[in-house]
Amino acid sequence: MRLASSLGCIAAALMTTGVVSSDAAGPRVKADVSCRPAAEKLQYDCAIKLTDARTSETVTGAELTVGADMPSMPMAHNVRPAKATATTEPGTYHARIQLEMHGDWVLRLDLAGHIRDRVVKSLRFEDDLVIDARKPGRPSPPHKH
Amino acid sequence: MTDFVQNTLDGLMIGSSYGLLALGFTLIFGVMRRLNLSYGASIMVGAYLGTLVYVQFGAGPIAVAALAVAGAVLAGIYVERLCFAPMGPGAGIASMVSSFAIWMQLEQAAILVLPRHTYPYPPLAAGEPLTLGPFMVRLDHLIMLVAALALGTAIHLLLYRTRFGLALRAIVGNPVAAHLVGVNVRAAMLGAFALASAIGGVAGYLVLAADQQITPMFGMWATIKGLIAMMIGGLGSIPGALLGGLLLGIIEMNGQWYFGSQVRELAAYFLLFACLVLRPGGLLGDAPARVTAAYGPRA
Amino acid sequence: MDDYLIGVLSNIGVISFIALSAYVLLLTGEISFGQQAFFAIGAYASGIATALWHWPLGAGLAWGGAVAAAAAALLGVPTLRLHGLYFAVATLAFAEMVRLLFELFHYQVLINGELVGPNGAEGFRNIRYIFDNNIGSTEFLVLVYVLLSATLLGFSLLERSRLGVIFRMTGEDDVLAELSGVAVARYKVLAAGIAGALAGIGGGLYAHLTTYVEPRIFDVMLGVHSLAYGLIGGLGTALGPLVGVLIDIGVLESTRWFAGYRMVVFGGLVAVLLIVRPRGLFDEAAVRNISRAWRRISSPKRRLSQTQRKAP
Repeated sequence: MRLASSLGCIAAALMTTGVVSSDAAGPRVKADVSCRPAAEKLQYDCAIKLTDARTSETVTGAELTVGADMPSMPMAHNVRPAKATATTEPGTYHARIQLEMHGDWVLRLDLAGHIRDRVVKSLRFEDDLVIDARKPGRPSPPHKH
Repeated sequence: MTDFVQNTLDGLMIGSSYGLLALGFTLIFGVMRRLNLSYGASIMVGAYLGTLVYVQFGAGPIAVAALAVAGAVLAGIYVERLCFAPMGPGAGIASMVSSFAIWMQLEQAAILVLPRHTYPYPPLAAGEPLTLGPFMVRLDHLIMLVAALALGTAIHLLLYRTRFGLALRAIVGNPVAAHLVGVNVRAAMLGAFALASAIGGVAGYLVLAADQQITPMFGMWATIKGLIAMMIGGLGSIPGALLGGLLLGIIEMNGQWYFGSQVRELAAYFLLFACLVLRPGGLLGDAPARVTAAYGPRA
Repeated sequence: MDDYLIGVLSNIGVISFIALSAYVLLLTGEISFGQQAFFAIGAYASGIATALWHWPLGAGLAWGGAVAAAAAALLGVPTLRLHGLYFAVATLAFAEMVRLLFELFHYQVLINGELVGPNGAEGFRNIRYIFDNNIGSTEFLVLVYVLLSATLLGFSLLERSRLGVIFRMTGEDDVLAELSGVAVARYKVLAAGIAGALAGIGGGLYAHLTTYVEPRIFDVMLGVHSLAYGLIGGLGTALGPLVGVLIDIGVLESTRWFAGYRMVVFGGLVAVLLIVRPRGLFDEAAVRNISRAWRRISSPKRRLSQTQRKAP
């Protein structure tokens, strides 16, 4: 049956990917992110400190791009990834991001160049400050006894 | 036991607003045989209008309420004109998806105007909650319940004592026959939409005034709650909508108290799922066969 | 190709899977608001397979698809009696239950000194397969599109096969189909399973692409969007949902000018489009016309013989 053969095609394609699995771990990077509102509305300046998760050394010379997405509406926003620039402090980078609305965002820190990695940070962006995202919850009338 | 009764009382209060939301849904569904997914969003537009005047001009609760309802009605008329009126008889899915697209549109438009995560809403009734023995009832919740019952009765009177109501019931029974005897079906549908939006606007205002804040998630929340309550009570049934809302409220409040807020939501959805699988017509609603006709093959 | 473009294309590819998943069910005449549940199940299952059990990517993706397909078939059974709006809301309820269950789901394993695994509402971080195994973003993009092409091949075979005819027949009128000897129940469950598998594979790809998933991602929005793609692009062909995805992500993503107003514009466009074409851009009628025109263009011999016949 033709359907079976096409399913077989898909299965074969799947099996040929990643035939070799390795426990070899690549570089692991840890990031400390602190953001502050910038001059314009919904614009934020972020200072990102990168350290190697295993050796605790600072990571210098990385090509860092900062992207953002809202977990509650994935891929629904058009936030251009911002390229981060190195600052005078080794291991610390600066990026300015422009968001579309306030709320919980997931920042995606993509490293390229000699170290390839991705670190994900959940932050809540408000008008006047940025904090770690709290657990999500739906609005509900207060239920007090 | 005291907790259970207290929860049930609270559930009745919040359930009354769910009931109103369901009432709006079921009114539209009963008359148009289609689901309006931007119902919650149009209520949110009105609600945002209310909070806008509150934040910018410090308006009082009556003005806020009036604008919330007016905004909801305007948004509802916009939705009706764009997503439902131009669609032919077989385009059930298309109008539903169209209403979803407009939900997205309205939600983003509201967020563009007021981008913050939360905005304040003026409280409805300040003061100590009433105590009846070991139980407490918040004043604003009580107002919610009374308003819901009053509105429900008013709608019932409208449907059974006025010409407009007669026209609506005729359309619910058989749209073609209604048209043949001279009912202006299109105008009546627009009227039903406006009415449903007004009810939703009131319900939204009551909930937000009790909560004293509004967030951008409100549109989604109102749509889901109204939908669940409507399905439980039965599509196209007005007492069913109110009953479904009350039941949902009670189950939610008890679920949250005993098991936490995630279980509360889980319980609501499970109730809905169980109702649909075991008794699709809902507690008091139409038989599924009539509904299928609208959404059936090539809808 | 710059990274941003690769990212956008990868997104388009991955979301196409869930759009196709909703499309399969639309073929059989059912509206599903719940495919995001199987997207989620696929994402979590394949993430667990590669990150916690150290499986290779291919096996992880297949596992995600299989678990999702099984769950979908299981859901298909109690909902057999439901049609139209009832079915739609039942799938919505189910999907929300799945999402809430993931918010309560904890399964963490200690690997290299840190806890990895789904952690309730905080989500599932560190699905690092593509980084740990040095798979570049271009290579992953190729993988996504190879799988997507295989799926499209499957669909074109389906459209020409007896199964495809059965699906569309069930979609048109399932009572008539039953009367014509089609075991409608069995085929509906099969369709549900196929749809689940597609969404599951898409979910697995998504999880590995972003390395991080959380329950909030898999909410009603995703589900209704996936349905909308099929409706916008057209239900006449499997390319229809892809057109819908392309329009949403591709065109509007690249017009910076729309940035904050994307949904305002897109929502309005969709509403207007649906007034004019209720079954999407490439609906059945359009596909028929296009294939007829194609046949006419590609067989000039027939036309020549007709004119020869007309000549005295």
